Amino acid sequence: MKTAYINNEPHEIKDGETMLAFIKRFKGEKHVPTLCDAPNLDPFGACRVCSVAVALEEDGKTKTMASCHSPVAEGQYIYTDTASVKKLRKNIVELVLTDHPLDCLTCEVNGNCELQDVAAQVGIRDVRYPAGANHLHYTKDMSHPYMTSDLSKCINCYRCVRACDEVQGEFVLSMSGRGFDSKIIKGSDNTFMDSDCVSCGACAQACPTSAISDVFQSKSVVESEVTRTICTYCGVGCNLDVSTSSGEILSIQAPYDAEVNQGHTCLKGRYAFKFYDHPERLDSPMIKRNGTFEKVSWEEVYTYIADKLGTFKKEFGPDSIAGISSARCTNEENYLMQKFIRAVIGTNNIDGCARVCHSPTALGMQQTFGTGAATNSIDDLKDTNCIMVIGANPTDAHPVTGAKLKQFAMKTGNVSIVIDPRRTEIARYATHHIPLRPGTNVAVLNMMMYYIITEGLADESFIGSRTEGFDEYKKEILAIDLDQIEGICGVDRNIIKEAAIAYAAAPNAMSFHGLGVTEHSQGTFTVMQIADLALLTGNIGRRGVGVNPLRGQNNVQGSADMGVQPHQGAGYMDITKPEVNLQYNKFYGVEVPSAIGYKIPEMFDAALEGKLKALWVIGEDIVQTDPNTQKVIKALNNTDLVIVQELFMTETAKQADVVLPGASFLEKSGTFTNGERRVQAVRQVVEPVVGAKVDGQIIVDIMNKMGYAQPDYDAKSMLDEINQIVPFFAGITWDRLGKNGLQWPVAKDGTDTQILHKEEFKIGKGQFIFNNWRETEELVEHAKDYPYILTTNRELEHYNCGAMTRRTGNELILKDDYLMINPEDAKEHMIKDGEFVCIESPRGKVDVKARITDEVKSGILSTTFHFPDIMINNLTGDIHDSEAKCPEYKVVAVRIRKSKGKYKTLAEA
Amino acid sequence: MSKNLSELSGRKGIEESLFDKMGQLAQERGTPSVEELDQLADEFLIGKANTFGTATFYDFLKPENQGKRAYVCNGTACVCAGTQDKVTKQLEKHLQPSEIGHMTCLGRCHENAAFNYNGKNFSGKALENLDQIIGKETELNSDTYHVKSGANEILTNPFSEVDQYYAPFIDALTKDSKSVLEEIKISNVRGRGGAGFPMGLKLEFCRNTENATKFIICNADEGDPGAYSDRYLLEQRPHSVLFGMLIAGYVTHASYGILYIRAEYPESIQIVQDAIDALKEKGLIGRNIQGTEFSFEFKIIQAQGSYICGEETALINSIEGQRPEVRVRPPFPAQQGLFNKPTIVNNVETLAALHHIISNGGSAWKAIGTERSSGTKLVSLDSFFNKPGIYEVDMGTPLATVFNEFGGGFKSEVKAVQIGGPLGGLVPAHKIDALTLDFESFANEGFLLGHASVVCVPQDFPIIQFIEHLFDFASYESCGKCFPCRLGTKRGQEMASQAMNSDYKIDRELFHDLLTTLEEGSLCAHGGGIPLPVRNALEYFDDELKQYFNS
Ligand SMILES: Cc1cc2nc3c(=O)[nH]c(=O)nc-3n(C[C@H](O)[C@H](O)[C@H](O)COP(=O)(O)O)c2cc1C
Ligand code: SF4
Ligand code: SF4
Ligand code: SF4
Ligand code: SF4
Ligand code: FES
Repeated sequence: MKTAYINNEPHEIKDGETMLAFIKRFKGEKHVPTLCDAPNLDPFGACRVCSVAVALEEDGKTKTMASCHSPVAEGQYIYTDTASVKKLRKNIVELVLTDHPLDCLTCEVNGNCELQDVAAQVGIRDVRYPAGANHLHYTKDMSHPYMTSDLSKCINCYRCVRACDEVQGEFVLSMSGRGFDSKIIKGSDNTFMDSDCVSCGACAQACPTSAISDVFQSKSVVESEVTRTICTYCGVGCNLDVSTSSGEILSIQAPYDAEVNQGHTCLKGRYAFKFYDHPERLDSPMIKRNGTFEKVSWEEVYTYIADKLGTFKKEFGPDSIAGISSARCTNEENYLMQKFIRAVIGTNNIDGCARVCHSPTALGMQQTFGTGAATNSIDDLKDTNCIMVIGANPTDAHPVTGAKLKQFAMKTGNVSIVIDPRRTEIARYATHHIPLRPGTNVAVLNMMMYYIITEGLADESFIGSRTEGFDEYKKEILAIDLDQIEGICGVDRNIIKEAAIAYAAAPNAMSFHGLGVTEHSQGTFTVMQIADLALLTGNIGRRGVGVNPLRGQNNVQGSADMGVQPHQGAGYMDITKPEVNLQYNKFYGVEVPSAIGYKIPEMFDAALEGKLKALWVIGEDIVQTDPNTQKVIKALNNTDLVIVQELFMTETAKQADVVLPGASFLEKSGTFTNGERRVQAVRQVVEPVVGAKVDGQIIVDIMNKMGYAQPDYDAKSMLDEINQIVPFFAGITWDRLGKNGLQWPVAKDGTDTQILHKEEFKIGKGQFIFNNWRETEELVEHAKDYPYILTTNRELEHYNCGAMTRRTGNELILKDDYLMINPEDAKEHMIKDGEFVCIESPRGKVDVKARITDEVKSGILSTTFHFPDIMINNLTGDIHDSEAKCPEYKVVAVRIRKSKGKYKTLAEA
Repeated sequence: MSKNLSELSGRKGIEESLFDKMGQLAQERGTPSVEELDQLADEFLIGKANTFGTATFYDFLKPENQGKRAYVCNGTACVCAGTQDKVTKQLEKHLQPSEIGHMTCLGRCHENAAFNYNGKNFSGKALENLDQIIGKETELNSDTYHVKSGANEILTNPFSEVDQYYAPFIDALTKDSKSVLEEIKISNVRGRGGAGFPMGLKLEFCRNTENATKFIICNADEGDPGAYSDRYLLEQRPHSVLFGMLIAGYVTHASYGILYIRAEYPESIQIVQDAIDALKEKGLIGRNIQGTEFSFEFKIIQAQGSYICGEETALINSIEGQRPEVRVRPPFPAQQGLFNKPTIVNNVETLAALHHIISNGGSAWKAIGTERSSGTKLVSLDSFFNKPGIYEVDMGTPLATVFNEFGGGFKSEVKAVQIGGPLGGLVPAHKIDALTLDFESFANEGFLLGHASVVCVPQDFPIIQFIEHLFDFASYESCGKCFPCRLGTKRGQEMASQAMNSDYKIDRELFHDLLTTLEEGSLCAHGGGIPLPVRNALEYFDDELKQYFNS
């Protein structure tokens, strides 16, 4: 044991720790005051307030050292409060106060200011210096919907600069000038609004004073309660500390002890919460009568629904009814919804929005590994040498993980491979970028495997002991036509070869994929290939490796886990197998059906054929976000009873016959499962807005109304029901979830699992299954007349249909959808930046503003779909993944021209 | 310091230096435009704030530098010589006041009246010929100073010619690099840049850090006003410096040598570049030198006007194009320096010593000087001496000998000399006899040898003004990273200035508190060092100073 001494008491030291960390472990966080140190930042050594006296022998001659960046060494005697260090600290803080306004009482962070605390701790009474130069004249920056600054309060600790660099990786902030004149700048000394700030709030949280803050004054201490819960906006699953006062949400901060996000969030999690009490929230159940919605009581609406569903069930059979559950809702609610559809209605017509995003992931990984979930955890980035990001733009869609991936990619020794048609933010930093033509993932991945095999980089021993089907697979791979692939994907084969070699040669390589993999006609096949690439190189079953889908919605993993799928029940059990159904029958106390139900697109087809009588949609705007808008609307109109459970009057709700006002994540308890299988506790922060109800309770009420006894919704008891039927939830109870949740599978005794497939796969051996590339029908049929390929993407500021984010300050940051177009293509069509472009597909046409950029190659266009005014999905078609039926949002054949008519004037406005 | 910025800047390698590019962009107008800086940021995948923040740090990049055509030296030696008001006045006859800026020490401390015009330095009598300088191509930028050595003529030894001079290097390449390092360790040559750290140990530390890429940086930022010995070596003995860097590269397995030369020495930059070109021509640098495994390339980086860039970690940040703020240690540059790679930073004079050590063995150097301060040392004397110049003396030589026998004594009465730059001690005239020229003697007497520049404070120069000047310099040149120095040097300057110009009296306790705060609290020796001469002044010139204090 190595020891050092704190005030002559011996304590064990840890390798590589700083004196400050050492002191904190034994004397508490605040024992030594600091101003420039922060929990999630590297030591910086600016304030010097952390100084301690250090001797080589007991009470020996001391040297003053800054504890925050000095490593502790064996045998050192550290004195934390000698007269001289106390005086030093006080004298430094006195200097700070010579250039700081003395109006604490009116300051926004009064009572929660680190400078104030430290000044009190060191015992400052007055400032002895004569009046001198200062920076009190700096003016405030209130330009931004969220971020604010008042640099007259700045103490030049650089915490904001470091947070923006070390945590977010954005480099928006720096200092200008030098010495006494140095001043925090945003961009080239701009306002927040005019800078490249992505509003993550890391700087505001890091700032010890109110010099950088936000409009919610997140650091102010109003009499408030803090509730820890989970963000609703993406599959990263960031933990949030939500402050409330008398039932009103004041602000959100990120807890430093959160394993998922370590004090970080993106702007959606931290700032985009004001939708929750937006005046447009639905405040009553409504029934559409004669084309207009009428507000009705809950009792009336329940009776109406129960009667109708009962009648349809009796007259047309249970299969005339279908449900679409929501990946925004909790596990418990999703479980209830599928239980309702299966046990109360008696059909397997239950599906969720995973269909339109990650259904191919679940299916593909189930076929190759046996489990359709991320094999590893994001924390594994600390132990990997190589990341491969395919069809994902994590800095926009999964910002906190995106920031970590970007931090990884910035370090020269690390290898990063990006396979994406767009030069995404990560691609800018990547070692290898393969800008393939959309729709050619399968071809490129096959080529990568070809090179790995021919270069002798396949992991023979892993293949031999843990996989099946390789010989056949290898034969197929070696027979692929390299010339053809190079031609269709449009990337030099050497670029692909180098990336393949880099992936295979890395001691540990992790892959991450997103919707650019799944939302294709060959989505499932691509997932299988990514999995096989990991098998081929032995990148499975230990830290720092694996296949890690970046799950889109906050609980898309959970909704599938809970059985929101037409072919598998809660816990992924195959409902077509009688012995499985027996289990469900026993558990639900009724007989459940064994025929596979409708997937979402099949529901629409059934509706159009007149076979679907009722559809209950929870928390999903299928009109705006599902492909081929006009067809979806027709299908809804052709369904007798459309029930939409929502927060707002979305495009889908407008088409409904019955609207039910649900509750947001801030208004209910339950669990969300993030992209790394981490089941985390969502804790109710406020009561649902007046008139709305917790979604789980609505389902329970209707179950009861229809004669199935189900106890009232409550997270704890729901989990106790779920853990009996879902095997990998066996050990999950509300009380065990604690601060950071549990990663499934969780054994009965509560042991959770960070890494899957360590010793063997759930199906025994990993499967090599070859599939060759096939051109999507979309292009085979239409490429001739529609020569451009349109693909879709997301923007950081908005979430999917935008129903929530468009009702927050995010709206002010990003106001429109836009079309990315390469300068060459823009020139050819004489389109200028900001002008409207008319995009036409075989289904329809829309007009979108152009953003000219070389992020996309010539021939490729990319657009967002967050705003209903544009309805991009008027363009998207009917092609789906051949296996999982996930729609092909990523390849749409289009032609373009400069817009005419009103759009011309709009652009000029 | 930002690890990310180091990595991103390093991606392009030293050949495509971000900092270099900024310097080039500033050439035309004196400052790069915001658009140009934004573009650079994009090219290097960094933030607009980063390039803007860096540019605004430097005297010769910041927006205020736009349109400057001439710079008047405001270094300590020229200030003490009292020549600079006249320089400004004369220049204003030819140029707009807005076209005239400041530079701190042009290395013309021996002639004073120094100024820079159109990229050239002038001093002494040049001022009388402004007609032939302004708007003309002229050779009047030359200067003269004495150069002489004591018993051992090593650093000042006349240069023969390239082949002969580099023979010991070729010879060293045939030896095990470890044994070459051993000679350097035996010599016990200590750093001449100020801190006196044994060079051999630093090289060994770097050698033992595994990395395929390593750098040798020659610190030619000679920022101490009053010092021009590095300038002498760079301009008169450039090969001694390049030789030293090659050897340092060989023993540490580094293959890049970077000379960071201050912009205030335009002539040095040209001369060193010529010397590098000569080596290239002779095949003494490049890949696989003389058919060996050893490869080495040189690159000159021109500084842009900031004293703190002489501090080694600030210097590294500077080369990376980051703001030159001082880094925390550890990690030491020898472990993680330029672009986060192992890096040696040595002073010009330290590197120049290697030729003798490699040619004659470590013990030959060790035999010269004192037990702990071995070898010879260059001393620069300013124009208050009868014979201003560069003198090479054995370590341990009495200071009085240097001043009187070499320097020929003072021209007029001097009440103190500041030795070792602005952070060096203020030696009152009566203490000169107590000192010998070596690290220990100075330290024992409460002074600092530093880089061994000597600036005289004339009898009629008020010490309070000297203190104000020191604080002003310290504040102006503070990098601003650490609280004590950023704020404390400013407050020190304000107190001295108010005491000098009004009936304000300085609170003695507060003043001592301030000095102690700077000494104990500062992150680097800039803020940490400035109290030394101030304390010397308080101790030795109390009679003169007490009127400014309240007790
Ligand atoms: C404020 C400050 C300025 C410095 N300026 C210089 C300088 O101009 N030249 C120099 O060689 N070293 C300078 N140094 C010392 C360097 O940090 C470093 O110690 C030196 O370059 C190491 O080389 P050496 O061991 O050969 O002396 C300075 C240090 C400080 C704190
Ligand atoms: S909010 Fe985030 S991106 Fe914006 S300046 Fe602060 S840390 Fe940087
Ligand atoms: S704005 Fe805040 S965090 Fe940034 S340097 Fe100033 S006080 Fe520190
Ligand atoms: S990264 Fe995802 S989970 Fe985290 S705050 Fe942003 S949207 Fe929420
Ligand atoms: S002492 Fe001065 S120069 Fe050195 S780090 Fe601190 S602020 Fe910068
Ligand atoms: S906390 Fe150590 S210097 Fe600021």
